[in-house]
Order: sequence, then C-alpha cells, then structure tokens
Amino acid sequence: MADIICDGKTTRDINAEIKRLIANGETDICMRNPVARHNLGVAILQSVKLTFDGSVGYYCAGMVDGPTVEIKGSAGWGLAESMMGGTVTVEGNAGNGAAASIRGGTVVVHSDAASRLGVSMKGGLIIVGGNCGYMAGFMAQRGTMIVCGDTGEAFADSMYEAVCFVGGNIAELGNDAIIEQPTAEDLTFLESTLSQHLPSRVGNSQAPIRNFKKVVSGRKLWNFDKDERSVWREAL
Amino acid sequence: MCGIVGFLDKTQNRNAPVGKTVLTMLTALGVRGPDSAGVALYTPPENGAFTLQVKLGELDGAAERGTSIAEGVKAFGSVQKVKTTAEYLRLVIDLQGEPRVLTQFIESLDEDIEVVSMGRELEIVKQVGTPQNLDATHGVSTFLGTHGIGHTRLSTESRVDLSHSQPFWAHNYPDLAIVHNGHITNYHKLRCIYEQRGVRFYTENDSEIIGVYLADQLSQGLTFKEALDASLADLDGSFSYLAATENYIGFAKDPFAFKPLLFTETDDYVAVATEEIAIRAAFGDGYEVREAQAKDVAIWQT
Repeated sequence: MADIICDGKTTRDINAEIKRLIANGETDICMRNPVARHNLGVAILQSVKLTFDGSVGYYCAGMVDGPTVEIKGSAGWGLAESMMGGTVTVEGNAGNGAAASIRGGTVVVHSDAASRLGVSMKGGLIIVGGNCGYMAGFMAQRGTMIVCGDTGEAFADSMYEAVCFVGGNIAELGNDAIIEQPTAEDLTFLESTLSQHLPSRVGNSQAPIRNFKKVVSGRKLWNFDKDERSVWREAL
Repeated sequence: MCGIVGFLDKTQNRNAPVGKTVLTMLTALGVRGPDSAGVALYTPPENGAFTLQVKLGELDGAAERGTSIAEGVKAFGSVQKVKTTAEYLRLVIDLQGEPRVLTQFIESLDEDIEVVSMGRELEIVKQVGTPQNLDATHGVSTFLGTHGIGHTRLSTESRVDLSHSQPFWAHNYPDLAIVHNGHITNYHKLRCIYEQRGVRFYTENDSEIIGVYLADQLSQGLTFKEALDASLADLDGSFSYLAATENYIGFAKDPFAFKPLLFTETDDYVAVATEEIAIRAAFGDGYEVREAQAKDVAIWQT
C-alpha cells in the first residue's frame, strides 16, 4: 500500500502522484489529509483501490472507470460524476449532484445525499443509506437508484428507463413518475444488493425490504401526443 | 461565485475567538472570490453603547471628514472611543435618541461617507482584497465575541469597491447583517418597491436587498425564523445566504438548491460554509458535515 500525504501539495500534484503510482504497479493507494479539497482522484481508468482518509470536496472520483474508491468522510458536489465503472463509497454525506450522469459502476452513500442525486444517469447503481434531497433521478435514462430513507420533492421527474426504490417517504413524485408494486425479483435484488453494499440496512425494522416502493416512469412524456396536452402543460 | 461562512459559539463563552475562526474559514475560501473580503462580528456590548464603523471614502480629505464626524456626533451622546483605521472611522457612542438620526447626520456630512455598520454588538469591516489583507489592516483575528459571518467575493454584476463588498448591514436596523452567495433575480422589482417607501440603497449589488428585506420583515413583527422562512417565497433566483443579529445566526437556501452551503453542529459550536474545506480548515476532524437541502432554513440562538 502506498500513501500520499496531501498537505502542502497542489491538487494537480496529488492527482499526478496517483497516476504515477498506478503506472508503477501500485494497486492500493491512500490519500492522507484530503481536508475536503476538490477534484481528487478523477479520471482513473484502472482497477485500483483508492482510499481518502477524510472528507473530499467537489467532483471526487469523477469520470473514473474501474477503481474502488472509499471516502472516509463526506463528499462535496458532483461525486463520481460521469463515472463509467468501479465503486465509489462515501461513509458520510454527499453534496448536490452525486452520481450525476453515471453510465455504470456503483455509488454508495452511507448517510444522506443532497439535491439532484443521480440526475441523468445512464446506467449503474446508486445506493443511499439515508435520505436524498430535491430532484433525485431527474431524467434518469437507465440504471437503478435505491434510497433507504426519505426523498425530497420532484423525485424521479421525467425519467426514462431508470428504476428507483425508496424505503422511506417520498416528499413528492416528479412529473410522470409512478409507484409500482415491486416484484419478487425486485425484492430479491434489493436484499442481495443491500446485503452486499449496506449490510447494516438489511433487517432494519425501520425500513424492511418488503416495504420499499418502486418508482418508474409513467411513460406519458416519452412521446408527444397532442391529445395529452394537459400532461405536457403540467410537466413544463 | 462567492464564499460565505458563519460561526456561533454555543458554550456561553462571550469571548470566543470569533475573529480568528471566521478569518480561518474565509481564508480557506479565498479562491472562490479574490475581489473583496469582509466580516460581521458580534461581541457583547460595551456598557450598552453603540459601535459604528464608518467609511470615510477617498483618502484625500478622509482625515478631515473623520474629524468633523467625531466633533459632530458629540451632540448625540457621550463618545467613548474614536479611532481611524485605513478607510474607516470606528466610533463607540452612548447614544441618546434614535440610531437612524445619528446615521443620517453622519452621512449628511459628505457624500463619500457611509455608515458601514451600527449596533450594540455588531461590527463590520470589509475591503477590496483578500482575507489576509483584511486581517493585516483591521486585526480581525484578535476579535473575541459570540458569533460572526464572513464573505469573500467574486463580483459578477456590480462594481468592486468597499461599499459593494459584503457583509451588508441592513442600514438603519441595528445589529442585522447578511452575507449572500448567488443572484437575486427580482432585485430590481423589490428595490423599486422599497425605494417607493423611502428606503435608501447604497449600492447596485443585488445582495443588499436581502438585508433590507429582512429588516422590513423584522420591523413588521416577524421573528428571525419567520423572516428567513418568508424570504424563500419572496426572493427569486439563486441564493444561499447567512443572516445574523445580536441574538441569532441563520441561513436560508433557495428552492432549487442552486448554491452550495454546508453546516455542522456540535455541542460547542455551529459552523456554516460554502465549502467543507472552510470548516475543516477551522475545526479539523471529529464532526459530521452536511449539505443544506433546497428550501432549508435553520437558525441558532447565542
């Protein structure tokens, strides 16, 4: 395992050091004292393990494909934005726009996520142990979002084929979002996924798996139909 | 892009290192806005007297303006302290009568003069440049008190000078100050309404409206919390702002959560900042930081 002491280094130095260590064959790298600095661990395309031993700032682990990233604190805006593959885990809370536009991989937030979680996601898996804020899943195209706690307003607004599961209350469904009964297959998937990524949540009497709500697109906004003008008027 | 910070000591310590804490947080956010820096700090009153920070304006003639203010204000009460620092005159006065009358008198002496802050507990200093420069000029880091807010500015709309910097005192409402990150898009409309009621605006900075608005709400009898709640509906645009009075500190975030604002609360203190980097710089580890949600309003009492 290699350590990078972040104190006194520029962001560019730290990211260059990560890449240099990976090029030299290192597969387990720990960043010490990141003190919530921005843009750390971005564009890493190898299956290495990156650990941040404290909070990170904006855009941590953005545009990555492959690494396993662990953040032992909170994350700022744009966590794992546009990620292609790998796993990003935050022990604390995540800021706005976590896992926005991801195409693959898994993002796990143990505590709460702020607004615009997983907007425009095109694949992958997002798991939030706590609550999420306003407008999560807006225009999500594919992939799966699991929120164990409550959601904010405009949840799953104008989605395409993404699927959301919510353990707590939904403050307000977004346009064209509908609640469906989870299938037996869905419940098995939830059980196994949460057991793997958030074991503390499984068997939690606060939100038993069978009580999770499934939210999908009502498909009313997928194609314009002039007979359904009222639907569009409300949505826009 | 601006950086805002807030700090409140919860331990009943009236001599908490408010200046140092706010300055440390602000310095960590300095890259968000190198145009200007300012702080609004609160300390228990000196025998119930009012403290004023007065901008003297252009250096040419500033000394004369300072002297005429110091002479003139004697008619309004017993003057306990007078000191000139850079562009500022600091006055402590045991005021007899209406605060508004005193500020109007001072500002009538010269068009360059502006009362930057007035209150029994509040003091604002702000200037063009970095937080470090602000400390070098005003010794902010030695200030002891109960709570404070700060601002570092990247100007997007209005000019860069002392008056357009933040925090803004809500003129003529003692002890009320605000810092704002964002853009109030119904500023012109609101300003027009207030100007028709005779409110004077000192700048073309849209953030100034927040102090004016909150002062109006508080004057109508709303509580501090109610005033902040009401602002969510009455202010348009993007905002995360902090407001403070002698008793409270609080924040509000717009309904779309356009602007960042994070906070942490422990048994000992509350810290609020645009970025976590500021909170970590001042307090290290051992607490949880979270992003405020859309429409969040929170207040804390000293």
